[in-house]
Order: sequence, then C-alpha cells, then structure tokens
Amino acid sequence: MKIVRIVLQLLVLYGFLLIGEAIQALLQLPMPGSIIGFLLLFSALLLKIYPLEWIDAGATFLLSFLSLYFIPATVGVVNYGPLFSGKGVLLLPIVIISTLITMAAAGFVSQQIANRSAAQKEES
Amino acid sequence: MAFTSSAIVFSVLTVATYVIANFLYMRFRKTPLNPVITSTVALVAILILFDVPYETYMEGGDWVAAFLGPAVVALAVPLYKHRELLQKNLVPIAAGITAGVVAGLVSGTLFTRWLGFTEELILTVLPKSLTTPVAMQVALTIGGIPSLAAVFVMVAGFTGILLGPYLLHLLNIDSPIGRGIGLGASAHGLGTAKAFEYGPEDASMSSVAMTLAAVLGALLSPLAAWLLL
Repeated sequence: MKIVRIVLQLLVLYGFLLIGEAIQALLQLPMPGSIIGFLLLFSALLLKIYPLEWIDAGATFLLSFLSLYFIPATVGVVNYGPLFSGKGVLLLPIVIISTLITMAAAGFVSQQIANRSAAQKEES
Repeated sequence: MAFTSSAIVFSVLTVATYVIANFLYMRFRKTPLNPVITSTVALVAILILFDVPYETYMEGGDWVAAFLGPAVVALAVPLYKHRELLQKNLVPIAAGITAGVVAGLVSGTLFTRWLGFTEELILTVLPKSLTTPVAMQVALTIGGIPSLAAVFVMVAGFTGILLGPYLLHLLNIDSPIGRGIGLGASAHGLGTAKAFEYGPEDASMSSVAMTLAAVLGALLSPLAAWLLL
C-alpha cells in the first residue's frame, strides 16, 4: 500500500509541476515552472488547503535520490572539455571566490541581526 | 523523450552507476567520493571510451533528468516542516539570504564581465549558488548552458565544504544560524551536508537557506542579468 501511496503522491507533485509550467508559459514569467509549482505547493500546505500527509511520503522518497536526477546534466561537461583547457579555466577561481563572498555575506548578516534582536529582547 | 534501445541502456547505466557510487561513498565517507562527482567521472569515461555522443547518452539521460522538476516542487515539504524555525527567525534568515544571494549574483557577474567572458558564460555562472535542479532551470531560462551551470554548482558546493569552515572561523561566524545560513545560501545541498556535522540546528537552518536561496535566486537572476549585462 505504501508504494501505491508514493506513486499517487509523485503524480500530485508532477501535477503541481505542470500547473507551474502552464502558469509560466501563460504569463511569460522569467522563472522556471518548477519554482512556481514549489511556491504553489508551499502555499497550499501553509494555508492548510492541502494536508502534509497527502504529499509527505512521495516528496521524501523523491528527494532521497535528488542527486541522481542531475547526473545526466553534469555528464554534459563532456562537451565542454576545450573550454576548460583555455581561458575558461579562470571561471573556476571566479566561482570559488564568489561562493566565499556569498557565504560571508549570508552568514555575517544573519548572525549579526540574530544577535542584535536577542540583545534587544534581553533589554526589554 | 524517446523509447529507443539507447534510452533503456543509458538510463539503466546512469542509475546503476549512481547506486555503485553511493555505495562507495557510504562505505568510505570521504568528501571527494561524493556520488555526483564519481558517477559523472565514470559516465564521462564510458562515453569517451566507447565513443558515444552526449546526445545519444541523453536519450536515456532525459528519463532520469525528468525527475528534476517534480523534485524541485517536492522541496516545499521539508521547508514546510521547518516552518516554526523559519517563523521564529524570519528577519535574520530573510536578511542573510538576501545579502548572500545578491552578493553572489553581483560578484559572479562582475568578475566574469571584467575577465571578458561571453554573455552566455556569464549567464551560466550566475546561478552557481542555487541547488542544482533550480540552477539548471534558471540557466535555461536566462540563456546560459544548463549542463555547464551544473558543473559550477558542484564547484560552489565543494568550495563550501572544503573552504567554508575556515572562512566561517575567520569571520567569527560561530552560531548555528550564521553557519547554517552561510553554508546553505552559498553551497546548497553540499553545504547542508557539511552543516549536519556542526549539529541539527545548523542543518535545519542550512536546509531552509538552500531552499529560500533557490527561490530568491530564481526570482533575482533574470533581474541581475538584465541590470548587470
């Protein structure tokens, strides 16, 4: 029975994806349909329109193999060998430095604001 | 998607390689044995060895990649389960993720522009901090190269795992919220795996950050491309 439930819930997830893609195409939005589907499902859960129990097993199952689904794409690097033997190799330090800047900004700002609001709570 | 013999051969091959790669990772638990890296290296080697064009491989690869879209939708479930954590820390989380996403988009675009890369490559580097399925779809939407974007996402992830701890220590980022948001917003799923080593609160924060950064990044990437190019 668990398998039936998982399969049905996977179909529901696929349904949310199709609705997201339809909205994206209809409104010509510059973001992936899957993100629109994500926002729809998250809103439906928050507003208690759709109960967690009806999606939990399927979503958890699907996400437990998440890294499998993007392997076909990473294999596509086979077509870009020449890029990395030339100037393109500079893209690697760019990505590394930009990632560190991202981490520093996100970590520093969230910690500073969290500390400040904790201090305010203690004063009041 | 095609129902050809290559479709069957290469989808089965991809899954089998992943299963073996996962087994190796579980057995030895070493970061460089990350199953995405080992599977990719093994499959690339097979394609080169047997002279198979990527397009032929993708007849099967497409079947595996078809799960990406529903998986992005499914990310709503873990985020919903963390909603109390999110509500309690809404302001620091939102501010930290916004700062990180904006810093990442701006620095990535400016560096690639200064070094004179083509617009297509700039747009490919842009979504590197987002979780792979979202980054690839964002790259596709704004005019980058999805498979190359996935490679940069991996580079970002490994930067987070290998250099992140030193950076966080250097900047005195030592709270679960600071570490979790920093790792999740910059290094997505790999960063979240690292955050698990600091503790469950770091991991929850990182998981929330990964999802929210992906959503915000998907919204802001087209804007960044339009403003900065």
